[in-house]
Amino acid sequence: MKFYETIVIGSGPAGMVGATILGQHGVKTLLLDENDFIGGQLVKQTHKFFGDHAHYASLRGFEIAQKLQDGISSNSNVEVENAATVMGIYPNNTVTYIQNGKKCKAYGKKLLITTGAMEKQLPFVNSDLPGVYGAGAIQTLMNEYGIMPGSRFMIIGSGNIGLILAYQLIQAGAKVRAIVEALGKIGGYAVHANKIKRLGVPILLNHTIVKAIGDKSVSGAVIAEIDDKFKPITGTERELVVDTIAISVGLTPLTELSEQAGCKVEFIPELGGYVPIRNERMKTTNPDVFIAGDLASIEEATTAMIEGKIASLEMVQELTGKDLEKEIENEITILALFRSGPKSVKIRSGLEKMGIKNLAISKPRINEPKEDIVGKLRAVLECDEEIPCNSCEVSCPFGAIYIGENLNSTPVLDPDKCTGCGTCVNACPGLAIFMLKEDVENRMALVGIPYELLPLPVKGQKMWAMNKNGDYVCDVTVERVVKYPNKTHLVYAKIPIEFSQSVRHFSFIKKESPIICRCEEVTLDEIENTIDSGITDFEELKRLTRVTMGPCGGKNCKLVVLGILSRKTGVSISNLSQGTSRPPVKPVEFSAFLKCGDDK
Amino acid sequence: MISNASVVIIGGGIIGTSIAFNLAKLGVKDISVFEKSYISSGSTGRCGGGIRQQWTSPMNVRLAMRSVELFRRFREDIGMDIEYHEGGYLLLAYSDEEMGEFESNVKMQNQEGLSVQLVSPGEIKEKFPFMNLERVVGGTWCPSDSHANPQIANIAYAIAIKRMGVDLNTHTAVDGIDIQNGEIVGVQTDKGYVKTNTVINAAGGFSHEVGLMANMDIPTHSERHQILVTESINHVLEPMVISFKKNYYVRQTMHGSFVMGQSDKKPAQGNDLGHSVEFLEEMAPKMVHDFPFMTHLHIVRQWSGAYNISPDAQPIIDTAESISRYIFAVGFSGHGFMLAPAAGEAVAEMVVYGRSKTMDVSNLNMRRFKRQIKSEKNVV
Ligand SMILES: Cc1cc2nc3c(=O)[nH]c(=O)nc-3n(C[C@H](O)[C@H](O)[C@H](O)COP(=O)(O)OP(=O)(O)OC[C@H]3O[C@@H](n4cnc5c(N)ncnc54)[C@H](O)[C@@H]3O)c2cc1C
Ligand SMILES: Cc1cc2nc3c(=O)[nH]c(=O)nc-3n(C[C@H](O)[C@H](O)[C@H](O)COP(=O)(O)OP(=O)(O)OC[C@H]3O[C@@H](n4cnc5c(N)ncnc54)[C@H](O)[C@@H]3O)c2cc1C
Ligand code: SF4
Ligand code: SF4
Repeated sequence: MKFYETIVIGSGPAGMVGATILGQHGVKTLLLDENDFIGGQLVKQTHKFFGDHAHYASLRGFEIAQKLQDGISSNSNVEVENAATVMGIYPNNTVTYIQNGKKCKAYGKKLLITTGAMEKQLPFVNSDLPGVYGAGAIQTLMNEYGIMPGSRFMIIGSGNIGLILAYQLIQAGAKVRAIVEALGKIGGYAVHANKIKRLGVPILLNHTIVKAIGDKSVSGAVIAEIDDKFKPITGTERELVVDTIAISVGLTPLTELSEQAGCKVEFIPELGGYVPIRNERMKTTNPDVFIAGDLASIEEATTAMIEGKIASLEMVQELTGKDLEKEIENEITILALFRSGPKSVKIRSGLEKMGIKNLAISKPRINEPKEDIVGKLRAVLECDEEIPCNSCEVSCPFGAIYIGENLNSTPVLDPDKCTGCGTCVNACPGLAIFMLKEDVENRMALVGIPYELLPLPVKGQKMWAMNKNGDYVCDVTVERVVKYPNKTHLVYAKIPIEFSQSVRHFSFIKKESPIICRCEEVTLDEIENTIDSGITDFEELKRLTRVTMGPCGGKNCKLVVLGILSRKTGVSISNLSQGTSRPPVKPVEFSAFLKCGDDK
Repeated sequence: MISNASVVIIGGGIIGTSIAFNLAKLGVKDISVFEKSYISSGSTGRCGGGIRQQWTSPMNVRLAMRSVELFRRFREDIGMDIEYHEGGYLLLAYSDEEMGEFESNVKMQNQEGLSVQLVSPGEIKEKFPFMNLERVVGGTWCPSDSHANPQIANIAYAIAIKRMGVDLNTHTAVDGIDIQNGEIVGVQTDKGYVKTNTVINAAGGFSHEVGLMANMDIPTHSERHQILVTESINHVLEPMVISFKKNYYVRQTMHGSFVMGQSDKKPAQGNDLGHSVEFLEEMAPKMVHDFPFMTHLHIVRQWSGAYNISPDAQPIIDTAESISRYIFAVGFSGHGFMLAPAAGEAVAEMVVYGRSKTMDVSNLNMRRFKRQIKSEKNVV
């Protein structure tokens, strides 16, 4: 049996930060992890992380893992054992693990358990078919082993993990047919959702999977709309042709080891299910055992790292008698600040159930926008949700972006100070910043779009400009490509000025003509052919092709059609007919007119 | 725009373009058409698209029957699919008196060679089980009545005439007709002057105004008719259904949407193209009553257009007496779309031969109003 002052179980961000701090304070530490390399969830993450810039935000997950690992390997007080699966914790803090097929035992005066979480399952008909995976398994295959488990995916669950998985799959060249979400709103951050919406992935709210189809493996999925009791509504079933179904309906903490260590666990759904009871300093009901990270509450890497810090500092204090009060209190404040946004309500109420108060010194705010300067090359920030992120503010070399004390506040641009350097576009993990410069006289606008897909377009490339929903807007020619070492490149192209607020992605031209009018399923080809046949009046074009005549009344496609007409005829959009608006603005049932409501 | 036209047609609606098509077919060169807005901007683009032969006046029956013949060949003759569909027309009666009138109409229509039959509520129910026939005592059924997409038909004519060399000018309004010594010498448009000795007034809702340009007081006026369209569903309703008593017409387009309308109690006069909420309030209960499946159907859009109405609600197709070569084809009320192929043919023949040949339309002349006025009854 080996003896240590502390043993850290699990080497995700929480465990790595914990081990680093323990080592830095001269505490002899053993770090155990079942995987061949340390890093936990981080190594699967190829996307840039959110969070506080001081905690590695805006770096990609595997890069964070690399940095943390460097800190650990340079510290002689920390011993790392990989491929070491902890099988049980026995009385007297005896940690038993299996390595190379052999049982090993280690004793620690204090234990830090950071085993993270596992994915929740979702039962449905044929969910045992090959081709149904957990989101994490797909990420492991794809990002760690370079294996693509399929080519056409459907994802269940619109939390951050589902959204990010969709993005990573598209980056890897796969097709994502849809994300289905049982609730009426997207679970994850809007910026993550926007990233994939503009790549054309529909997020179907109030939908669920009914069953997987296939003999030997998945060949499709039946999805349906659900009612407010989460029951599928008959008649709304639809079949999607997919070969892989990814389940991403949440994580639940891996509490077994902490239970064996005698820590009391309780069911607190807001925190992810059964979680060990602990205090503000991450100490469980067993005074020798501390926890941090997803095991304590399902959150994110930043909070896992801060918790790992708090837990390890408190452990150092108890083991060595050093006074680290100030440092600990400081980390607790940072954590409270981090959790003060609307996206952390659940965590806050879960913690309160445990008796932990959230003492944020300031509340997040929706910052007032500053007056825009049309015509100047500047950043456009599309980040309106209060999320814990401040990469843009920190990265701007000219102090042109303001968030303020609470990093959950929304960013605002000071166009006066913005030089158009593009640094923030490159740093933003939400890909929520774009560059824009209007040329009012010529009715054109230059837009710069962050681009992380392969292949990277080149100057002169003819492409399609797509809107926020991934629908075709107009043709473009790439004017400039700015490459960055962190692989978030910037692609510039000119578009008609009318589209400066809608174009948010450039897509390579596909063989199949894009659908312009979704209601009536009219393609670009049909519209162009009709114009080429001599129909150059918008109203006539509309009546012949039915474009804009569907239930949406052209809300979604009218401007795009006018753009096509403008390109073909040389008449500017503003000089083409706009038509008349007729009631109802949105379709209304006959039944609404049967009984009169409140006529005033 | 050409500077010297053999014929100038004012109005690019279904009537004007049909006339131009037939003139070009007869070999007339240098035809100019002026449309102040886009093709199908007038009543044609706003109409219900019904094609009915069951009328109370023999003239209307004949014209409509000739039109149906031409509509059947539309794709071959004009070159475009206009969603023409012979789904029939079902007219509903609610009293013995109304049924009695239907009976005598059917007799006349049969004499004209139209196949129409009287139907009992049981027979209607059998054909259209989804209808609620409360208080219906019977009806008439003409299987060869039909419907089509009027906007596409109008644009199809426009494309065809351009192909045939007609000088079609959209977004060009005629401001005046230049008459010297009782002879037409040209027309003034907002884009220039054209010399011509023949003008055809096919200005739809503006027929009276265009009449005044030649100092003619054409007895037509315009009033607003409202109409709505629903979302598309699977095809269930084959015919156009009309209830004069309840004041509605409804049909399902080939695209799956339902188009329906009524006559307002006090229709707005002139070319008022607004819309009223009362229209929806009045339509909804009767439609949901007679077609219960519509309860949860969504209304997608409402709009309106002008009926251009003569004293007997029948068209006026004639040549002016006091001015040479001023022809008018106006006052088509709620049935100008369906009559357009035959009317266009007749007018073209009047221009070329001095009188209509294929069909005698002489009793649609202006002089008839000097006698007793006998109105077309079966109108919504
Ligand atoms: C797709 C996805 C996207 C994410 N995006 C972000 C983001 O943008 N920003 C952000 O801040 N966070 C993000 N997160 C969340 C973040 O990755 C986790 O919150 C964080 O990794 C939790 O850290 P942890 O140290 O608690 O656990 P983990 O990273 O899960 O590490 C736990 C480790 O413990 C090991 N372990 C478990 N049991 C045993 C055992 N018995 N013996 C030995 N080892 C064991 C596991 O194998 C694992 O290596 C994302 C997560 C996913 C899955
Ligand atoms: C709600 C509604 C429903 C209807 N339903 C049916 C139906 O089911 N079946 C049916 O057969 N009929 C129906 N009708 C009637 C039918 O629409 C008309 O009778 C027909 O369209 C008339 O055609 P038009 O060419 O004479 O008139 P329009 O289509 O109105 O064309 C006249 C054109 O002349 C142009 N014009 C006018 N003045 C000038 C000028 N000075 N210079 C240049 N251009 C000028 C106008 O812009 C217009 O485009 C309906 C009408 C309405 C309003
Ligand atoms: S473009 Fe440059 S100057 Fe402008 S906000 Fe971004 S980083 Fe700052
Ligand atoms: S805009 Fe700023 S706050 Fe928003 S996601 Fe991007 S970097 Fe973070």
